[in-house]
Amino acid sequence: MAATNKISLTEEDLVRALKAQETIAIQALYDMYSAALLGVITRIVQHPEVSEDLLQETFIKIWNSGESYDSSKGRLFTWMMNVARNLAIDKLRSKDFRNASKNQDIENNVDFIDSQRKVSFNADTLGLKDMVNSLKPDFINVLELVYFKGYTQVEAAEELDLPLGTVKTRIRMAILELRKYFN
Amino acid sequence: MEEAKAYIESGKLELYVLGQLTAEEQLEVEEMSKRYPAVKEEINAIEIALEQYAMEHAIQPTSGLEQRIFAQISGASEIPVTPEPVVKQEAVVVPLYPDHTGTVRTLRFALAACAVLLVVSVFSLYSAHSKLAIANDQIVALNQSKEKFAATVSFMKDENEDLQQIAAMSADPTWTTVKLAGTKIAPEANMVVYWHKKGQHVMVDNTRMALPQNDEGHQYQLWALVNGKPVDLGVFDAKAEPKKLLVAMKEIGTAQAFAVTLEKRGGSINPTMEKLVAMGGVSI
Repeated sequence: MAATNKISLTEEDLVRALKAQETIAIQALYDMYSAALLGVITRIVQHPEVSEDLLQETFIKIWNSGESYDSSKGRLFTWMMNVARNLAIDKLRSKDFRNASKNQDIENNVDFIDSQRKVSFNADTLGLKDMVNSLKPDFINVLELVYFKGYTQVEAAEELDLPLGTVKTRIRMAILELRKYFN
Repeated sequence: MEEAKAYIESGKLELYVLGQLTAEEQLEVEEMSKRYPAVKEEINAIEIALEQYAMEHAIQPTSGLEQRIFAQISGASEIPVTPEPVVKQEAVVVPLYPDHTGTVRTLRFALAACAVLLVVSVFSLYSAHSKLAIANDQIVALNQSKEKFAATVSFMKDENEDLQQIAAMSADPTWTTVKLAGTKIAPEANMVVYWHKKGQHVMVDNTRMALPQNDEGHQYQLWALVNGKPVDLGVFDAKAEPKKLLVAMKEIGTAQAFAVTLEKRGGSINPTMEKLVAMGGVSI
């Protein structure tokens, strides 16, 4: 099961296959996006096992509600990303998850506790350090909270003690920076 | 184009892609993206940037997960993949079910809406009912005060007529004003009687009467002295608040004097001289 076997389809074909409930669609989606989605989920819930369960749930949901995706409203990944993020946030805020995380070992979760209040970057990702260094931290911090931490813009404003208008502006600036960076 | 540019710079499109907008705001963005290709392009660029950003943060799932997901999905989709007869069967059945679920959902909404409507209706009916009761009470109260007022008006009208008549009689030379003075048993008593000789009318003026109030068992009786003989002219009461200002008595054509005695209620045939309260002669 090496990288050579991975399926990749155009977005158009993917959407058509997904709506037609062809299993190849979910295989292609998994090959193309499972790692990206797991990255997002993990950063929200900060718990590897729960994250993989949530990834599974995400793909089941994508499979079952594929017909509700409207390509005129945005890209397929944005839609999947929102499915994954909503599931992760729901989990994070659910009672059983909060109770469970209270009982976790302190040693294993120093990073977890730390990361609940602060924005930390996933240093595991190769090459990310370079990228982070090239982006303005003020801007990227706000985006991190909203995109990867499941904060609403209002919560992000409170967390960073910034006016809501500034949060909006910084989100825009951060994305502009990203666009510059990726081009 | 200016509008599109300003919209792009507002920062709303980024929030749209991040799923941070309300349903209403989302619709607005979708409208704008349909209208302006530049807006649509911008949304696409934001999406791609965030997609690449997520890719940078990717974490490879453990190898077993893929199989777990596929097992779950293919388990769920086993039926449509199986051979033809089943597919045929499904083709016959399909139209029925979606309709039902849709109808049930709609009916549930309708039921909820009806329940809410019922509660609202009952509440407003109740409040309307209590308001109506208050209004009714007010109408009754207003009616009562109106009747009271009307009674007062008619009483005052009568009183006014009597007063005018008193004034007219005082000024009219054909009416004789006879002043009756108190006797020994009631030195404070006095009263006035108007007498129309030609018309034989006799009136007692309650406004100018100062007699001790009579009790329930007794009444004052007016007498005319005609050639030394008392003639009964009827009874009257002395009250603090008389019903009428002028009281018409029995008629008499000739009299030398008028006198008042206190008699048993209803009057007597002959005057009780011991109870002579007031008396006055007719001046010619």
